[in-house]
Amino acid sequence: MEQQAPSLAVILLSEDLEKLHAGALVGSVASMSGMTVNVFVTMNALKSFRKDSFENADFITGTIGKEMLAKKIPLFDSLLQEGKDMGELNIYGCALAMDIMDWNEEDMIDVFDGVIGVTKFLGMTQGATVITM
Amino acid sequence: MSEVQVTKSIDARGAYCPGPLMELVKGIKTAKVGDVVEVLSTDKGSAVDIPEWVNKMGHEIAYLENEGDEFKIAVRKAK
Repeated sequence: MEQQAPSLAVILLSEDLEKLHAGALVGSVASMSGMTVNVFVTMNALKSFRKDSFENADFITGTIGKEMLAKKIPLFDSLLQEGKDMGELNIYGCALAMDIMDWNEEDMIDVFDGVIGVTKFLGMTQGATVITM
Repeated sequence: MSEVQVTKSIDARGAYCPGPLMELVKGIKTAKVGDVVEVLSTDKGSAVDIPEWVNKMGHEIAYLENEGDEFKIAVRKAK
């Protein structure tokens, strides 16, 4: 039987900073630990990946998110980039949500590997452990 | 402990989880097999997470010491 590297799929749905951070953290550490990681960014989570959200620190935060911003710790963009640099981590934007909002990949921070549909994402994550945030 | 030859020491004190682990991973990636990379950390999570990562990746803990809130973890690159 063909041996496959353990694979993790992270689906980011929420624009809450804490959920984005937690999802990015799990994904980046999994990547550094030898797993293949594919991240799908969809619905409101896409808004937080926009360049203007980062420029204006425009994030939805709760108690811990506020403190993360105040302490200026590296945010989910930085965690995801580290995961890409130190292992195999790919990030995809959801074609449906991007289309509805008329957003382009250029509007997003520079971590995306493309804009794809769910069928493509399901194809690349078959058999993977799935985390949804 | 003192006979371990440290190739590279990384000061990650003050960084939050998983910062010290990330610094270690970078250090190990650029190191040669047999090199020892040491990380200084004040993050309690890293003291648990780093040995877990080292075991999973098949490297070796040369030493793990702590003094108060500070941890010193040295990892020998095995492959």
